[in-house]
Amino acid sequence: MASDNLGDYERVQEEGKYSLEADIPTITFTEIGKRGIRRMDGYEKASGKAIYTRDMQLPGMLYGRVLMSPYARAKILRMDTGRAEALPGVRSIMRYDDPEIEGRGLNGSYFAPGWVGRQLKRSGLVEDELEGWGLKPVRPVLGDEAWYEGQPVGVAVAADSEDIANEALRLVDMDWEELPFVLDQEEALKPDAPILRPNSDSNLLEDPRQLLEVGDVEKGFKEADRIIEFTARRNAHLWAGAEMASVLVRWRGDNLEMWLREQQPYHAKMLFAEWMDLPMNRITVHSPYMGCSFGERGNPANNPSNGMNILAALFSKRTGRPVKFLYNRNETFFGESGDMMVSYFKVGAKEDGTITAVQIKNVFAVYMCTPGIEHFIDNTRIPNLKCEAITVDVSKAAAWWDRCEQLPNTFCFTLVFDHVAAELGMDPTEVALKNDGYDSRDTTHLSKYKSEHGFPDRDSLRECIKAGKKAIGWDEKWHPPGTKKLPNGKMHGMAFTWDHAWDDVRGTGSAAILIENDGTVSIIGQQADIGVNPWTAYCQIVADELGMRYQDINIKPFDLDQGFALMSPDGSCNLCSNGIVLRKAARKAKKMLLELAAQKFEDVRPEELDTKDRIIYVKSDPKREKTIKEVVARAMPMFASAGYWSEAPVIAWAWHTHGVWGEALETGRPRLGRQSHFIEVEVDTETGTVEVSRVVNVNDVGKAVSPETVEGQMYGGSYLGVGRSLTEEMIWDGKTGVLLNRNLLDYKYATMVDYGPVDAIFLETGLGHGPYGAIGVGEATATMMPALLGPAVYNAIGHWIDDFPITPDKVLKALGKA
Amino acid sequence: MKEAMSKFLCPYCSTTFGVFEELKAHAISDHKTESVPAPEGLIRLTVNREVHEIQVEPQWTLNYLIHDRLGLTSPKMFCDRGACGSCTVILDGRPILSCMTLAIECDGTTIETAEGIAKSNHPLLDSYVKHHTMQCGYCTPGFITTSKAFLDRNPNPTEEEIREALSGNLCRCGTYPQHPKAVLEAAKNLREG
Amino acid sequence: MKKFSHVNALTIDEAVSILRRYGDRASLIAGGTDLLGKMKDRILSRYPEALVNLKTIPGLDFIKEENRILEIGALTRLEDIAIDQTVRGGYAALAQAANRTASPHLREMGTIGGNICQDIRCWYYRHPNNRFPCLRKGGGRCYAIEGDNRYHSIFGGSVEEGCYAVHPSDTAPALIALDAEIRTSKRTIKAGDFFQVEVTKTTVLDEDEIVTKILVPRPPENAKSGFVKFALRKTIDFPIVNCAALISSSEGKVSAARICLNAGYVKPYRASRAEEVIVGKTFNEADAEAAGSAAVSEAKPLPHNGYMVQIAKTMVKRAILACG
Ligand SMILES: Cc1cc2nc3c(=O)[nH]c(=O)nc-3n(C[C@@H](O)[C@@H](O)[C@H](O)COP(=O)(O)OP(=O)(O)OC[C@H]3O[C@@H](n4cnc5c(N)ncnc54)[C@H](O)[C@@H]3O)c2cc1C
Ligand code: SF4
Repeated sequence: MASDNLGDYERVQEEGKYSLEADIPTITFTEIGKRGIRRMDGYEKASGKAIYTRDMQLPGMLYGRVLMSPYARAKILRMDTGRAEALPGVRSIMRYDDPEIEGRGLNGSYFAPGWVGRQLKRSGLVEDELEGWGLKPVRPVLGDEAWYEGQPVGVAVAADSEDIANEALRLVDMDWEELPFVLDQEEALKPDAPILRPNSDSNLLEDPRQLLEVGDVEKGFKEADRIIEFTARRNAHLWAGAEMASVLVRWRGDNLEMWLREQQPYHAKMLFAEWMDLPMNRITVHSPYMGCSFGERGNPANNPSNGMNILAALFSKRTGRPVKFLYNRNETFFGESGDMMVSYFKVGAKEDGTITAVQIKNVFAVYMCTPGIEHFIDNTRIPNLKCEAITVDVSKAAAWWDRCEQLPNTFCFTLVFDHVAAELGMDPTEVALKNDGYDSRDTTHLSKYKSEHGFPDRDSLRECIKAGKKAIGWDEKWHPPGTKKLPNGKMHGMAFTWDHAWDDVRGTGSAAILIENDGTVSIIGQQADIGVNPWTAYCQIVADELGMRYQDINIKPFDLDQGFALMSPDGSCNLCSNGIVLRKAARKAKKMLLELAAQKFEDVRPEELDTKDRIIYVKSDPKREKTIKEVVARAMPMFASAGYWSEAPVIAWAWHTHGVWGEALETGRPRLGRQSHFIEVEVDTETGTVEVSRVVNVNDVGKAVSPETVEGQMYGGSYLGVGRSLTEEMIWDGKTGVLLNRNLLDYKYATMVDYGPVDAIFLETGLGHGPYGAIGVGEATATMMPALLGPAVYNAIGHWIDDFPITPDKVLKALGKA
Repeated sequence: MKEAMSKFLCPYCSTTFGVFEELKAHAISDHKTESVPAPEGLIRLTVNREVHEIQVEPQWTLNYLIHDRLGLTSPKMFCDRGACGSCTVILDGRPILSCMTLAIECDGTTIETAEGIAKSNHPLLDSYVKHHTMQCGYCTPGFITTSKAFLDRNPNPTEEEIREALSGNLCRCGTYPQHPKAVLEAAKNLREG
Repeated sequence: MKKFSHVNALTIDEAVSILRRYGDRASLIAGGTDLLGKMKDRILSRYPEALVNLKTIPGLDFIKEENRILEIGALTRLEDIAIDQTVRGGYAALAQAANRTASPHLREMGTIGGNICQDIRCWYYRHPNNRFPCLRKGGGRCYAIEGDNRYHSIFGGSVEEGCYAVHPSDTAPALIALDAEIRTSKRTIKAGDFFQVEVTKTTVLDEDEIVTKILVPRPPENAKSGFVKFALRKTIDFPIVNCAALISSSEGKVSAARICLNAGYVKPYRASRAEEVIVGKTFNEADAEAAGSAAVSEAKPLPHNGYMVQIAKTMVKRAILACG
């Protein structure tokens, strides 16, 4: 903790640092962990009153639209906007050769230029600060060349209505030169493939993570009883969130106001200011509700739709009117999941299930989220690991996180473990337990860490497996592959996978707590809402920390310029970071409150007081009490008259950083919690349909602050996760490079009746580094689920289909029926 | 409608005439006692128990009318092609998709949106909030309207029937398992008054 | 959407006269669930100048049974057909087909007339902004032949290099199996003759012809009908293949069969080979399977849709067994 000779800034920084120690609760939980709490955002959302960016309208507002390339790769040879300009209702047209837009680029890769490069340098992974992160370079906001079908290109318009804007785009007369393109990453590496980036001699993209090696795999293979080799493929899927992309911008003199559908609004503002060369204090960002994100809006730089923020701002300046820029549904298919990959595996294992070596070669298209080996490092005792991962440019939109950048890792992890178990004829839960550990070390090292840092010595994996097995009836139902035909004629299959829990080490936030002079509490801090219900949890935490009730606390997080920004709701780090921010702020506020109360009791010191149920009482004589309301009644600036005088407000703020991403193991913070997932399927061998009849998830969430929220994430993760491996797939036409299923009928995700029951079982072991031992759970299930369909189908029919999604045609083919 | 403009269209029955005099004669003889019809596109509809008389364009969808013109933000635009249920409103008792309905064809209809259902203190609202039957919330009003129309017809449903009734509503956040719980509770509260 | 004129027709005659006046520049609109999607996406180079609303014509929305004939008005909503007790009792295949169509909301909107007159769903044809001006749109080539044809016809195209887009309707095969007739503003057409292979059309209707009602003869007492559908999702999904059957039997043996597949060919595909095989047999797996194999004996799948043959075979088998 902070020592007293620190400066103000140093103290804040010191207090905000993350700790390796277990966060043992010091309060009694009244609101925390309670069921049946009314969600903060519930009524607004259910009644349709919640406002999303797409719902926003301002007086005099214009509608902005941009042209999307009809070709996979093409250059504009000639463009005539005359007819569009003449269309009544068209207010402004921006051409690619307009001086105001020409040369304006979005970063092609990550956050700000060099940001990741700096992080990588700091962590010693690379020597130089890299510009960006091995992706396509700066992408023009509006260029004359398209890199993929559906790319914003050539011309944008602002008009009185969306219909007029659309009509205007249709009236633009253009000649294109179509250029050769390539869709498949392995094709793109062949010598005769067209080179897609200018000034480059290969489609291979730079990435500092091309080789990761631990131990010596050759040695590991020698020690193995069996060598298992296989290849797997994963096709693209994407977020396909509920609300279509849009932004609303208005200039007010030199100040600019924007309504932004952005998961990380502060980053968005920062980048926008940089792109537009505007001082940040001239930009006001409103962050209305968001209809999903799942990472779609997680990266303000990489995403082509960010160009629309710039276009909208330029149009608004030109026309002097607010401009709402819109994408329609088919245009929102502007990216892919970062796990378009072909994977080559070689694994060595002993007969008893001990894995001695894992070697993976991954070939990614467009973007590598994660190389694919990290979970073996973070999560197992396997001593020899090697991963070669390359990223290849293809004629597709930029890929990105899709409810977790860990997809390649979980894909490789599940397939390796389940292939090994199948090859050895072992129960996969046994194989998991045999190899659990971290950083090539076994679980005794985890136990040591736990005891050194005050964590309970619970075996999370064993507990997760036990609970999951019981729920699904594993011991009674588990069977050898292809052996169980159900009375309905279908083949029964079941599978299991596991991983560490998403106890992640990043996230930074700040917030303030203000006790209003009626004794209610406002949380001050901006945050985008993507549906993970953080606000309810924050209010629960603040209520318990202050000794108040949930109903007394409120948060109004829609406007950025409050001075405080909570960690954005992503990376499964929201609650773990912000829970600590709020807990710290609440404790500070409580300290102030008790100091003020002590003055009013006159004869007690603050340390002698405590709060409970909105009451401040003397600990040694609980009958002596005052309500919080009484104590703070004057603690705000009031009007200065009639003998009233004000007391200083009770307001406290805190900052917390939950760690620096990429430094997990370096700082010695292993993940202690685990998760297990079980699935049951029925395969119709006459149609190839894989029907999911049951999903059982067991997540160690450390501490469930809001149980329904935890369950919601696990339910949602199951639907999204299973869908990704059964029906969700982006399908391009090989001849033209056009994405064929740009709508929600042909891009198929699950409906309410598609899968059988989903169990959401959570354990509360206190093994997390979050507040009260909590662990994030937002992404875990969705990321674990997809690969699990592979072993489940294998268990049903006795054939591996390592080609995702597993559609009926592939199943029939495996069965020799197609 | 270039052709129609170059001819003379009877405002009562849309028959066209080449010469104005003919139209005049026709109108006098065939439509003598009828009152002059309202201008094309003037519709009257009841939304959440309030009557609206409004001039619409033929290409306006009901969603545009309700959401953009009347300012009721509950019917959300999600797929815009009839494939998600998010823009559902109740039209004369039927849960229908406002994005695939022309406003001009809704003359004389009665419409309910989630705002209206909320205003009438329907127990669905409370049970949805209590059971956390939402995440991002964008699709939630569509579930509310669909559930309300369903409960109007089937006040004592089984879980299975609820799932069937809501099977046309997509939720990307995957809140599906929470809906039957909320709808069952609302049904119970409705029955018990 | 782009502007158009809109006319509320009050009688069939009026609607016909407007169609005559506008020719192919006008479209009829019933539930609008198919038509508006096409207009929003601007899939055709030609956009309708006028829509003629049929819903304002009284007397087209009804279900009644008289003299062993079921009559359904063209504007009857699919949901009403799906839940109607008479239809469910005597004409099960039709009720089941209506019930498996699209989604609950679309069934509340979509009409039976619109369902049999709906356009094809080929993803090249339907790609926004007329991205693929294919054969069916009067262009020079069919993109599906060389492209991704996983959902296209397994029984050949409309013409040699021609359209492989399947007919997507769920109710059409049921109507054909039940030997229904389509009454139009001009004539009465057997359901089996109603659909058309010609490249640019899906039905035999003339430009100024309107479906007014559907007549379904009540199947004999010893007959049962059934409908099965294969799609990737259980709801909000078009069939990859569906099948309806009407099978009469006496003493456990099939005496007559009408079996119709859809979504596997450019129009509903009468599985007459399967009918021949199953007549005289009892209801059992092996014979139903043999009938299924016979149904697809003339299949000539494209590079990506071979699996549909197996599925079509299974659908026939299951439709037969559903009538047992
Ligand atoms: C997301 C989605 C999923 C769907 N899934 C399915 C499915 O699973 N199975 C299925 O079968 N369909 C499906 N459909 C298609 C659906 O539109 C039809 O099932 C519906 O019945 C069409 O009826 P409608 O009244 O809305 O047609 P409309 O859109 O009004 O009309 C369709 C066409 O028929 C013409 N027409 C309409 N009525 C008549 C008439 N009386 N005489 C002559 N011509 C007429 C119109 O001019 C128009 O060209 C789906 C549609 C969508 C949008
Ligand atoms: S199958 Fe028919 S609709 Fe599809 S691309 Fe070919 S010609 Fe066009």
